[in-house]
Amino acid sequence: MTYKEYLLELKKYSPYDFSEYSDNSIQRRLQKVLDEYKMTLEELRERTINDNLFVEQLVNDITVNTTDFFRDADIWLEYVETVLNKLSARQQIKIWHAGSSTGKEVYSNLILLDELGILKKTQVFATDINQQVLKEATQGTYRYSNNIKSIETYIKILEANKDNSSIKSINLEKHFNINIANDQLKVNNKYLSLPIFKKHDLVQGAIPFEEKFDIIFCRNVLIYFNTSLQTRILKIFHDHLNTSGVLILGNHEGLTGFFKTRFNRLGSFFVKSNSFHFKY
Amino acid sequence: MTNNNYKAIVIGGSAGSFSVVSKILSKLNPDFQIPIILCLHRLKYIRSGLVEGLNLKSKINVIEPLDKEKIKSNTAYLAPSNYHLFIEFDNTFSLSTEESYNHSRPSIDYTLSSAAHTFREKCVGILLTGANKDGAKGIKDIFDKKGYTIVQDPETCDIKTMPQAALRLFQPHKIMSPDEISAFLNSL
Repeated sequence: MTYKEYLLELKKYSPYDFSEYSDNSIQRRLQKVLDEYKMTLEELRERTINDNLFVEQLVNDITVNTTDFFRDADIWLEYVETVLNKLSARQQIKIWHAGSSTGKEVYSNLILLDELGILKKTQVFATDINQQVLKEATQGTYRYSNNIKSIETYIKILEANKDNSSIKSINLEKHFNINIANDQLKVNNKYLSLPIFKKHDLVQGAIPFEEKFDIIFCRNVLIYFNTSLQTRILKIFHDHLNTSGVLILGNHEGLTGFFKTRFNRLGSFFVKSNSFHFKY
Repeated sequence: MTNNNYKAIVIGGSAGSFSVVSKILSKLNPDFQIPIILCLHRLKYIRSGLVEGLNLKSKINVIEPLDKEKIKSNTAYLAPSNYHLFIEFDNTFSLSTEESYNHSRPSIDYTLSSAAHTFREKCVGILLTGANKDGAKGIKDIFDKKGYTIVQDPETCDIKTMPQAALRLFQPHKIMSPDEISAFLNSL
């Protein structure tokens, strides 16, 4: 049995379809699972068919759940100045984090919205394929030692740029409850009830809410998909963005195929364009 | 031993490798055609200006590829900070943010093994100075797939750990100083 054949079996017997993930990465992730469980693909298939709980664990193992507070600090600086500031006059702001993982970027975002005084009029949705990371996300509790450095890096960059940025610094105690003895960093309680976390697999298309969004975050998710799946998901994002809505991808992700023509570049971000024009 | 049909030169390095890579790129023929793929350990939290630094002296353009970007000739590609860099069969790059490997992201083993898998005998692997063993297994993969392998002479390394880890695993085709590596590349 090849790993591609296995993925088709997984698709048949479970709600999960990894068949359009990019070859190199899905093969490596599957191999990692086989090594960890000391299984062959045939054994993995048997277990997949007979054990739903195991399939959930498998999804947790296969998917990449890396996320950080303020990952790529300079991007968040740019985000505040070029995206959030322009929306601050709006009555309401809607944001979707697609592939939110454990929610660190969701809470990073809430902190910035709070600092800018626009938290109350913002609705934040966050989705992920992986139930386990969503559960962690709703708890907003992380290990202090693993996360403090990325937060401090962002604060340093804010302070170095305070002459031309709307947020001059961030007060750790205001936004986090820190317990170093327990190696715990918990986001301020007031943020916990704000995001609407929902399990959703981007591959399945139809999204679990009616809303259109002003901002969609989907950082370092599309890199795991092949080009045709990427294009399908970019269409979902395009359909669910408001006029001039902003799509925020990972630092080294670009638009593929047709959708290059349906977004305009705004610094590191992509703005939905409604005019239809070809680019050669 | 070498053939003139190489599809990529893949270079891994860690501590001390910036100046070596910079020197190699500064001595390249400006019309050097074979794509060069660089996987260098770098700082995690900041864009360190590494690509800008390399471009100052390089004779060919150095860029950090985007995911799914096509590999082009006469270009050097640097693995972006905080991503693993892989090479796909359709001659494109793919990126991943999965767990660090050998405490490294980018991991040199990952990039080199992926290059070995994709390019097989049409790959040149070069492992430079560095302070850990990441890269040793990857360059051996290139060797095992009949690619051409060069390890920097430990005597010319700031830190010998990385080349020595490779030399413990296999005997590469050549052990060379940075100047010899430059001359070798220009002879291809």
